[in-house]
Amino acid sequence: MRNIFFLVIFIVKSFSLTGQFKIGDTIPHFTLINNLSESTNLSSFKGKVLLVDFWASWCAPCRKANKKLVDLHKDYSSENFEIVGISLDTDRTKWLKAISKDKIEYTQLIDPHGFDAKTAIQFGVEALPASYLFDTSGNLIAINPTEQVIINQINQIK
Amino acid sequence: MNLKVFLLTLSVLFIFTNSNAQISKAEIVATGLTCSMCSNAINKHLKSLTEVDSVIIDLNTNTFVVHLKKETNIDPRILKEKVEKAGFFIGSMIVTMSFENVEVADNIKIEKDGLSLVFVDTKTKVLNGETKAKIMDKGFVTKKEFKKLSKSLSKYPTYTSDNESIYHVKLM
Repeated sequence: MRNIFFLVIFIVKSFSLTGQFKIGDTIPHFTLINNLSESTNLSSFKGKVLLVDFWASWCAPCRKANKKLVDLHKDYSSENFEIVGISLDTDRTKWLKAISKDKIEYTQLIDPHGFDAKTAIQFGVEALPASYLFDTSGNLIAINPTEQVIINQINQIK
Repeated sequence: MNLKVFLLTLSVLFIFTNSNAQISKAEIVATGLTCSMCSNAINKHLKSLTEVDSVIIDLNTNTFVVHLKKETNIDPRILKEKVEKAGFFIGSMIVTMSFENVEVADNIKIEKDGLSLVFVDTKTKVLNGETKAKIMDKGFVTKKEFKKLSKSLSKYPTYTSDNESIYHVKLM
């Protein structure tokens, strides 16, 4: 009886996990509009170490993290490394204002539906900020990586 | 028409509209160690309630505006429990209720849709239509505010009595 109980738990758990984006998964194909109003496909960044960062202008911890990401991008953009920010802002103006205020130069995309945004659901974003690190083959290797994990990954491909 | 039938219809109508008036909206500010708006948890937990029609997040005021379905009654404590399940606390909760010719005064207790309401810091007046009231009880305000209120509202004997079935409300 006990074994069956654990088996059921295990099955339920494994199902709930498959619904989410997990380590080893490849960069999803989706197209979003960038801050220059051009459509951009996320999978076009395959071949580089890629950090996908979900944020929003109203999220204070995200704005704080942006500062670090801007510096990281400055230091490593000459390497095979790219950052793509995906904003869940519903207000485009506030998003653009935040980009210029935070002096963000890396790719910025918007999926203006808050937590109901398709990309947020696909990645399983439950809290902001949320970041996803992909290797050069486009496989997810870390969720919410530390700066050191990102730098190590960049250095690996040198 | 027969006068008796007319009066009967009128009284039935009156009873109906009276019991029909519930909380239609709750404006919740959540507090916690992390940014409450940055988490989808509160939104998800509130939406899981069958009484909840929609949750709108006002990013300018950091408020979760919970619209409740018509013809449903909800105890504010259920909303509080959901926020706490999501890992946050209530910073403030303002509920919108509709009243029909109900006279209220300071320290007066009324029974409404299964809730006992005691009005605090309230001048005598007749409530009509949509009315906003802030819940002043423990767990519905910040800990700091509750400490202050325990003193300033100590003249209301029910306030500090730990009686969970009574809500102390202040008209907004």
